[in-house]
Amino acid sequence: MRRAGDLLGAIYLVALFVFVFAPIAASVVFSFNSDRFPTLPLGSFTTDWYARAFSRPELWEAIANSLLVAAVTSVLATFIGFATAYTDFRYGFRFKQAYLALALLPPTMPLVIMGLAMLAWLSQLGLSGTLRGIIIAHTVLATPFAMAICRLRLSQMDTTLEAAAWNLGAGQWGAMRHVILPFCAPAIVSSLCLTAAVSFDEFIVAWFVSGLNRTVPVMILEILQGNVDPQINAIGSVVFLTSMTLVVLAQLMIFRRRRHD
Amino acid sequence: MTDPTPTPLVQFRGVRKLYGSAIAVKSLDLDIGRGEFVALMGPSGCGKTTTLRMLAGLETPTAGSITIGGKLMNDVPAHQRDTPLVWQSLALFPFLSVVENVEFGLRMRGVAAGERRSRAMMWLERMGLQGFEARRIDQLSGGQRQRVALARSLVTEPEMLLLDEPLSALDAHLVIRMQGVLTKLQRELGITFVYVTHSHSEAFAMADRVVIMGHGEIEQIGAPREIFRTPRSRFVAEFVGRNNIIAGVVAGGILSSEHGAFPIAAPDGSAEIVVAADTVTVLRAPPEAGPAVKVAFLSEEFAGTGIICYFEAADGSEFKAQVTEEQLADLQPEPGAAFWLSWDPARVHVMGG
Repeated sequence: MRRAGDLLGAIYLVALFVFVFAPIAASVVFSFNSDRFPTLPLGSFTTDWYARAFSRPELWEAIANSLLVAAVTSVLATFIGFATAYTDFRYGFRFKQAYLALALLPPTMPLVIMGLAMLAWLSQLGLSGTLRGIIIAHTVLATPFAMAICRLRLSQMDTTLEAAAWNLGAGQWGAMRHVILPFCAPAIVSSLCLTAAVSFDEFIVAWFVSGLNRTVPVMILEILQGNVDPQINAIGSVVFLTSMTLVVLAQLMIFRRRRHD
Repeated sequence: MTDPTPTPLVQFRGVRKLYGSAIAVKSLDLDIGRGEFVALMGPSGCGKTTTLRMLAGLETPTAGSITIGGKLMNDVPAHQRDTPLVWQSLALFPFLSVVENVEFGLRMRGVAAGERRSRAMMWLERMGLQGFEARRIDQLSGGQRQRVALARSLVTEPEMLLLDEPLSALDAHLVIRMQGVLTKLQRELGITFVYVTHSHSEAFAMADRVVIMGHGEIEQIGAPREIFRTPRSRFVAEFVGRNNIIAGVVAGGILSSEHGAFPIAAPDGSAEIVVAADTVTVLRAPPEAGPAVKVAFLSEEFAGTGIICYFEAADGSEFKAQVTEEQLADLQPEPGAAFWLSWDPARVHVMGG
């Protein structure tokens, strides 16, 4: 009975993964397929779509934009996320629950609303259509993830460690540098990867605020609006690979620290 | 070493600590001498840990003054004091190796890398941990971690070491061994140890002086034997344990209580007497002379130095007597069996006297 249940569970799990990953796998397969349209049977193997896509100067520009935005966003979001998590860990104050709820709010908002609001707000500041604008919007979106990761790590810390550092002659900043940050290092690396992935993938808000400075997902949409072409599969496969690598790296850091503690 | 020197290392004067409206320490006056091993003892919530944390600068007194070596310390932050603490959780840094943990205090004080390494290695050797320097903390046993924590605290060669229930996480046989290690270390170094514990056996085995605290106040200060034999209050007598407390009224050298009338050397008025468990004789029949209380046997407990037998008097109050294994074999007590407890009136301690 038990084994039948296990088997059903296993089948269910495999089916779930197939369902989730089939479109992505198909996209990767068709990116190497010589046929113009995604039909079966497949044509011959080709890297032509990659060559064509990557010969577009605007794609390189978009990749550069995406990488810059992702890099700056990950640093900003991780910094703010860590600082928020640390205030939660260290201090008790009135309205702390409200403070935490507010800090975790952004992912619960529909992205279209967020995108519109960001567009309105950033235009007021004269930042719409700039990379700085996208960075600000992405930082808002990514910070709660950074905070969640750092909070999880801090919750695993013996609260006396910091006091022990003071007791041994470390000031507030000394304890931060020599105890809190080293302890949180795996979470910080994990957070950098994850927030970079959040930014690199993000399309809706970027589409609202990007203007002429397009990121890769925005550019994919623009190509898609023009004509459906396996180049999109090629670009999409690269985006997927980049994001997956970042997310897997983030996961590895989390699992590594679990094993050690 | 037992005499507090004329200029004590530490002086608490009228120290008070409130958390909001909750009183942690009510009013504390305490001197701790140089080279003294002082144990702060009491039930949880008595203020002993708060007192220790104030000494380390981890808490600021609400009122009163704390001086160390004659210097007022109230507003000196923790990291500018040299009052290393051995934590109950040990608080070793999991991301540092054993030797890096020991070096930490020197590193924070800006000691050059070469020197701090050699000093750390010296302390590891002293603690019998040579060869373990490159290990991670989670690769050590409980006893080894304990010794790393000690080495980490002592590497800066402080005048005073604070210990917050450092042995509470260890197995019983290790506790006895570590007690030996700690006493020996304190004698050799000649520095002050302030040791917080709720365990009498630890405090009595190691300390020169024991400070019993209750409800944020000092109940009694004295040598272990003094506290054990002549507790000043019911609180101390009960906390120290293995004591029978009889309350009554004295008139003409006789204490009249619920358990009977006993000769006592005390002035007239109400009084509480303490009859230590190890001064009680257990008898199968009432004695021909001397005090006696009729009791029913409840249970027995093996306790290192002997066996503690628990009895119940007619009014339901509990009596304790310490007996040897041979005596227990002779008595063969069954639960509920009637016995008489007697004692030497000369060994009775009258409290509040």
